[in-house]
Amino acid sequence: MAVDDYQKYLDPKILAQLEGLQLRARRIVEGYVSGLHRSPFHGFSIEFAEHREYAPGDDLRYLDWKVFGRTDKYYLKQFEEETNLVCYLLLDTSQSMDYRSADAPMSKLDYARCLAAALSYLVLQQQDSVSLATFDNQVRALVRPSGNPSHLEQLLYVMDQATAERKTASGAIFHELAERFTRRGVVVVLSDLFDNVETMMAGLKHFRHRRHDVILLHVLDPAEVEFPFRRTTLFRGLESMPNVLVEPRALRKAYLREMDRFTHELRKGCRMHQMDYVPMRTDQSVAAALSSYLATRKQQPHSTQS
Amino acid sequence: MLLAFGFTNLALLGWLAAAAVPVVIHLWNRRQYREMAWAAMEYLLAAVRQSRRRMRFEQWLLLLVRVAIVVVVVAAVAEPYVERSGLLLGPTGPRTHRVIVLDGSFSMAYTHEDTSRFDQAKALARQIVEASPQGDAFSLVLMAAPARAVVGTPALEPAEFLQELGSLAQPHATADLPATLALVKQVLDAARAEQPGLEHREVYFLTDLGRCGWAPEGDAQTAEVGRQMARALGDEAAVAIVDLGQPGRENSAVVSLASGTTMPTVAEPVHVQVGLKHFGHQARKAQTVELLVDGQRVAQKQVDLPVGSGVSVGFTHRFDTPGEHLIEARLADDHLTIDNHRWLALTVKPAIEVLCVDGRPSGKARDGAAGYLAVALAPESDSAGPRRVQVDVAPEAALLERNLDHYDCLFLCDVAQLTKAEARVLENYVRAGGGLVVFLGPQVKTARYNRTLGGSDGLLPAKLGRVLIKKEPGIDPKEYRHPIVAPFRGRERAGLLNTPIDKYVQLDVPADSTSQVVLATPRGDPLIVERSFGRGRVVLVATSADTSWTPMPMWPSYVPIVQEMLAFAAGGRLARKNVLVGQPIDSVVPRSVAGTTGRLTLPDGRTEPLPILAGDDLPRWQFTDTLQSGPYTARFGEGKGVRHHLGEAPSGPFRQMVPGTFSLGDPEVQILAVNVDPAESNLAKLSQQELRDEIWPGVAFDYQTTWHEPTAPEAVPVTRRGSLARGFLYLLLGLLLSETFLAWRFGHHTN
Repeated sequence: MAVDDYQKYLDPKILAQLEGLQLRARRIVEGYVSGLHRSPFHGFSIEFAEHREYAPGDDLRYLDWKVFGRTDKYYLKQFEEETNLVCYLLLDTSQSMDYRSADAPMSKLDYARCLAAALSYLVLQQQDSVSLATFDNQVRALVRPSGNPSHLEQLLYVMDQATAERKTASGAIFHELAERFTRRGVVVVLSDLFDNVETMMAGLKHFRHRRHDVILLHVLDPAEVEFPFRRTTLFRGLESMPNVLVEPRALRKAYLREMDRFTHELRKGCRMHQMDYVPMRTDQSVAAALSSYLATRKQQPHSTQS
Repeated sequence: MLLAFGFTNLALLGWLAAAAVPVVIHLWNRRQYREMAWAAMEYLLAAVRQSRRRMRFEQWLLLLVRVAIVVVVVAAVAEPYVERSGLLLGPTGPRTHRVIVLDGSFSMAYTHEDTSRFDQAKALARQIVEASPQGDAFSLVLMAAPARAVVGTPALEPAEFLQELGSLAQPHATADLPATLALVKQVLDAARAEQPGLEHREVYFLTDLGRCGWAPEGDAQTAEVGRQMARALGDEAAVAIVDLGQPGRENSAVVSLASGTTMPTVAEPVHVQVGLKHFGHQARKAQTVELLVDGQRVAQKQVDLPVGSGVSVGFTHRFDTPGEHLIEARLADDHLTIDNHRWLALTVKPAIEVLCVDGRPSGKARDGAAGYLAVALAPESDSAGPRRVQVDVAPEAALLERNLDHYDCLFLCDVAQLTKAEARVLENYVRAGGGLVVFLGPQVKTARYNRTLGGSDGLLPAKLGRVLIKKEPGIDPKEYRHPIVAPFRGRERAGLLNTPIDKYVQLDVPADSTSQVVLATPRGDPLIVERSFGRGRVVLVATSADTSWTPMPMWPSYVPIVQEMLAFAAGGRLARKNVLVGQPIDSVVPRSVAGTTGRLTLPDGRTEPLPILAGDDLPRWQFTDTLQSGPYTARFGEGKGVRHHLGEAPSGPFRQMVPGTFSLGDPEVQILAVNVDPAESNLAKLSQQELRDEIWPGVAFDYQTTWHEPTAPEAVPVTRRGSLARGFLYLLLGLLLSETFLAWRFGHHTN
């Protein structure tokens, strides 16, 4: 199958039609992401591989003093790249994630699943470990990190079984998980982040305190971003929120302003704590969104490397 | 409230229920919502909290505008109008000058159920004023003869106008429509010049449409001029005629009151003739006519009044005392009382004082140029008892020596010539109301006469020519038209027609003069010519008073014709004492009271100051505001020269005046009588159709009638409507534009 053929399956609409997360993840990664030359995740290596001559700007910590003593030349120690990266995927399965507008190809939860599956696939492909936690107002499932390729199936199974039923309380969850994730790694949060920004940021800050690399994949429905409704609508609140009957046209401006304020706060918080904030729309191509972000990330000096 | 809105098609207002449609749609829209689960509810709720008040305001505003659109559409289709339950013609808007024309004819005094038409008209006028918006101006014109602008300059203060209106008494005049129209135009023109802000003009005629005032019998040309004026008025202003008259009304009236003599004296009884007439369809039986002299009833008679024809009733009364007297004929009151009274003012003298100026005095009785004349003037002088005529015979020097005011009539008999001073004395005498009869004769120097007394402004009614000898027999009585010869009609045995005249002076009557020929020769040469001069009258006789030119003094016709000439020449004063309503009254006063101010007591008891005017060397007074009928009593120099006479104090105008207390030459009290025009007593009125077809064809006016509700002028169903449809359509346009804008503006949040 040509690459172009895979491309078209990367469209969320097509993906939604494909049953099974594994297939979706494979298509996403094989069709696009796997074409990348290097892993975007730089792990920590312990097994020595070779020496390289020092060049200005190199980290002096990796200077091989023994060789310097022997040869009077500066050599850096290069390590064997080993899968020691742990990618913690935190999948929000609160009720709000179940929202899917009429024009959207899939719900936010489905989209987040796709993302999580694709990332799992990608990380496992690189022989790294993936851990998965689903949560709403408490941790619903926690899959321990593993680098075994067969681990993917378990991950996908857990994702599939997750149902969106309850309210979010992300702040406490993040604190709890931060305590439980003992190995440093990359924490990827897949959520609509409809929660108290302050408590949520406090929880995320905890991850950063544990020196995890944090990536917020903010999944939103296009309707939530654009609020395109015209007819009088009774909005039924999810997660125990009240119902409200409104004239959407009259409210749009104020709503968009509120949304903007919300995302602005998120961005600001992420920037402050050196976390990556990645807005995602469920009508976007998962692969495109993911690859675009990963490409950007590769170009950045990574905090976890420091 | 006098201002009201209404709709022509009231039934269409049922569609106002459609105003509920926008509300129903709004509510239906709210019920026709879709349901949707929503995740980002926190932010939606925040937005709702922020926008709730604004959204509610916008919704209400839009809903209000949409409801208003439906209401205005329905209202416009139902043809709205503004209605003034007064008499106002125009729509509200520009300032309006309202000219209210009150019919001042006395038929407006017709009273029905204790309310006269005039009172009703005043109530309507008040209603018009009170219903008018602030800023309008009002004028009040009295349609009378003469027409009067009671409030000429537009009154901006309704209170001032209403005060004038309230103080307006019922005039006893007739209606002069052409003069009124001219006055209304004058008032409108003046108002336009003085107050250009009064854009709209309305004229209201509050009238009973009496035929006498609105369709007087006159020449067609006058009627056409009236029509043109009415058309011009209709073009310039909105005209409304409010008909206050009731058709087919009955009315009895005293239509005339006259004395048989022009110079009543205490010497002989005065014969008074009372004319009565009933206007209507049912004859009146046994109507009582009373005769009052100086306020005292002296006689009464019962008469039957047939329909259509007049009845004359004669009374005889002898005045015991000389002086100013007032006779009143009175008929029992009916619905219109003004014409049930008629007055006659008389100056009763002890005797008629005549001065005969003899051009050829002889010293012997019955001799000289005035000998025969003196006898003819007072033929009963030899008999016992009071003398009716007191004749003084004197030479021409008496003209300057004697006080001529003392005499009622002067006779010049063959006076050769008159000096300028004498001529001036004579002129003043005649101008003041005296009578002058000039007989010619052989001595007369015609050229001097022409020079001193002739001319267009001279005393003589004709220019004297040469002396002619009459050849053909007989006299032309000019059809007995003149009052001097009128008694000879049918009395051929009196011998007037074959009166012998040998010589006479040719009299040349100027074509443009007011002189009238009384008698003439068969050839057409005038023998007797008369003219009025000032208040007096001059009679010129072409022949002599004695037998020098004619044997006429011995002829049977001589005495009667001399008596008639005396009565006519001396009657000038009496004619000025009895006038019709609207005509000015005036009189001369003795020089003794010149420079003082007298008082005039009007028929309603009010008194007016009466300044004495000095003009033409004759002190006199004048009063023009004679809109009330009845006696007008002028008093001068209170107490001076008044010889009080013990007697019973009468009522009325004689309250402060005892009858018969004034002798000749003491005219400190003068009584004049003002009577109504009997033509107005006929209550026949015009119908609306006649008005439109015959009187004012082609004139734009609005006819309104109230006569069926005479007792409740407040409830007069006279209304005028101004369409508001156009205003409503403009409003609708504005609302539609507003709705479009608001809907765009409020829906703009989505864009």
